[in-house]
Amino acid sequence: MMPVEVQKMLRLAEQCLERVKSFAGKMLEQPPAMPTQTILSTSSSTTATPHGTSTVSLEPPTRHRRVLSEGGRNASPFLPPEIFQKLQTAESEETKKELTPIEEASRLNQKLKANFEVRLARLPPGQATQKTSLTLSLQRQMMENLIIAKARQDALQRKMEERRLRLQEEANRRFAASGTVTPEEQELRIMYASILEYEQDHDWPKLWKARLKKNPNDISQVSGLVSSLLSHPEHPVVKLLKKLQYRIYDRLYPLVSCCPSHGFPHLSTSLSPYHDHNANREEGPLSGTPTLDTEDSFEDLEQFINLFDMSPRSNPRLEMESYILDLEDCALKEHLSGIVKDIHNAIDQLSSLCLLSFECLNTAVAKDQCVASLEEAFFPPLWSPLLALFRKVHRGRELSFETSVKLFRNATPSELGVASKLFPKETPVHRGYPYESAVVELRLICKELCPQRKLDCIVRTLRLICACAEEYSSLQEPDAPPRTAAIGADDLLPILSYVALHTEQPQLVSECAALEEFIHEGYLIGEEGYCLTSLQSALTYVESLHSGGVLQQQSATFT
Amino acid sequence: MAAAGAGGAGGGGSRSHSFKVVLLGEGCVGKTSLVLRYCENKFNDKHITTLQASFLTKKLNIGGRRVNLAIWDTAGQERFHALGPIYYRDSNGAILVYDITDEDSFQKVKNWVKELKKMLGDNICLCIVGNKIDLEKERNVSVEDAERYAESVRAKHYHTSAKLNKGIEELFLDLCKRMMEFAQDNGTSQAQPSRRGVQIADDEPPAATAAGGGCCSSG
Repeated sequence: MMPVEVQKMLRLAEQCLERVKSFAGKMLEQPPAMPTQTILSTSSSTTATPHGTSTVSLEPPTRHRRVLSEGGRNASPFLPPEIFQKLQTAESEETKKELTPIEEASRLNQKLKANFEVRLARLPPGQATQKTSLTLSLQRQMMENLIIAKARQDALQRKMEERRLRLQEEANRRFAASGTVTPEEQELRIMYASILEYEQDHDWPKLWKARLKKNPNDISQVSGLVSSLLSHPEHPVVKLLKKLQYRIYDRLYPLVSCCPSHGFPHLSTSLSPYHDHNANREEGPLSGTPTLDTEDSFEDLEQFINLFDMSPRSNPRLEMESYILDLEDCALKEHLSGIVKDIHNAIDQLSSLCLLSFECLNTAVAKDQCVASLEEAFFPPLWSPLLALFRKVHRGRELSFETSVKLFRNATPSELGVASKLFPKETPVHRGYPYESAVVELRLICKELCPQRKLDCIVRTLRLICACAEEYSSLQEPDAPPRTAAIGADDLLPILSYVALHTEQPQLVSECAALEEFIHEGYLIGEEGYCLTSLQSALTYVESLHSGGVLQQQSATFT
Repeated sequence: MAAAGAGGAGGGGSRSHSFKVVLLGEGCVGKTSLVLRYCENKFNDKHITTLQASFLTKKLNIGGRRVNLAIWDTAGQERFHALGPIYYRDSNGAILVYDITDEDSFQKVKNWVKELKKMLGDNICLCIVGNKIDLEKERNVSVEDAERYAESVRAKHYHTSAKLNKGIEELFLDLCKRMMEFAQDNGTSQAQPSRRGVQIADDEPPAATAAGGGCCSSG
């Protein structure tokens, strides 16, 4: 007969074993590669680590799976923002994270448990006491590991916190003189502190700083630095970039992913008495107020009623529809300008943070280069939804352009007002049509995803036009001095209109409208600005072609 | 301010000016030859960009100040007139050229002056230029009329001949000086266009020079 204590002990050991068994069973169901943080322990000590929260609990963590398609009602060409963000982080997760002490302990414990299972399997059957002692020692070891890990983690965290505070103080000192603190400045301070922290852990920024110090005038070093910076996903500048990109994508997505017709569904369904099937149908447009449950439509409603008061009954249906369309247009335009502003702010924020972390960039030339490199990273994932919004806003203009293209696709240069000496009388078949090289170049604009590159493309197009014009005119007047062949705007614009028409790409209208928003002030009065302005003029002219004289009328009122 | 110190005012040291000048005039008044003359004149090297005569830049040194001139040619044809405003905006100066043998071209100049005033108010230095004075015998626009008109719109009047290379250098030099004075009086030139990337405490000055910038962007 065993003493009571021994019996108790055995029962406890059995219970422990049961737990381990059930636990081991659950472990097997999961894919083997998955790291589990599950540990034999009742203390659910939740510890915030710098990388997130690692929960220590008895149950295996339930991995909730994100539902990727949300409803799937409209097939949209754009990815939902969640996926956009996932793609962003997927790119950056290639780098290995360092394990926190608790994570390390959990790995260690897994190994211990594996060993334990092996030993348990080797035990000859019937050796219950052996089993119990093994189980108990496993429990003890695992527990110890955890406690030590927790202590280490706490110490580390305390240290990190101290360091963070110290760096924050340092950051604050740097900004100290600037008096009142706006929220943006506050954010910048925090960012700066995180940069200091990053730089204590990484050496590459120091190397670059030294390199730039050595060659302060080498601009290629600047782009080298920025691209190296962008390749480090843990750097605060890159984190900020991703965050801002996501924020803008998130704003763009609902605007461009829905079907193109109506932006105000509640207006078109419940406000218009002709479409309203549930209420107020017989009462006519002037009487009762249709019930509205959307809060922001109240103002719209007021305006809507005012509209009817002002213009009673002159085909109310048409007016209403055009009114609704106007409202949509306005709303879209407002969204667009808001987003444009957000993008400018985002780039401002990024470049200031860049300049903060690399003071060596603080010369006019280096700064420009830095902003250019940042934009090159910032814009590409956003350009197509952004352009989609611009295209929505400029839909009318694009339609005009399209109509003109249909009507004047085969127009000769002279029909568009190009001087006869500036295009060949007969083009040999194998050489294509006049100014073809410029047309080909201009079409490439849609392939670029960054404003600066698009501008470069426009500049190249105009240069090609000038080169072609020179060639054509020298063919016709071989004796004329080259200088007289130089063409001015009088010749350039008709040719450019001809070229733009032949690209047959209405989206040029929206591309240019977008470029106008994102061209740098510094370039505005330079060659890029001139070329963009000229192209915009040419496009407007092409748009007006099909109506045969909108421009003439306008200029008539102007004279 | 430490933050702005990091953002820094670019350029530093000697301030330089950048001016935008639009060139207006009917098709055959000779505005292209005028700027070509000017830009090939002083130095031997060509200042003609690869955009030939439509967009030209010139660097000058006036009173120890560096001046970058960007000269924007515009199309004179009637059908492109409606598109003018996007060329004018942010201009510091305008050169309006007419042919002294062509009364009609002078009337056109008057239209452009109206248009410019409407858009930019008095924030632009206007030059009215009677070109082709080598054809004095065929003059159709009287000197008095032209000068009186110029004075009435606070523009300066010049006579030039692109053919004989007369009066052109003076015209541009004078215009540059006027633009510099104007910039100093108003404290706002495009001398140092404040880049968006820089966060300077005193933000954009409520200057009128950039008035055209925002308001007609969506059009």
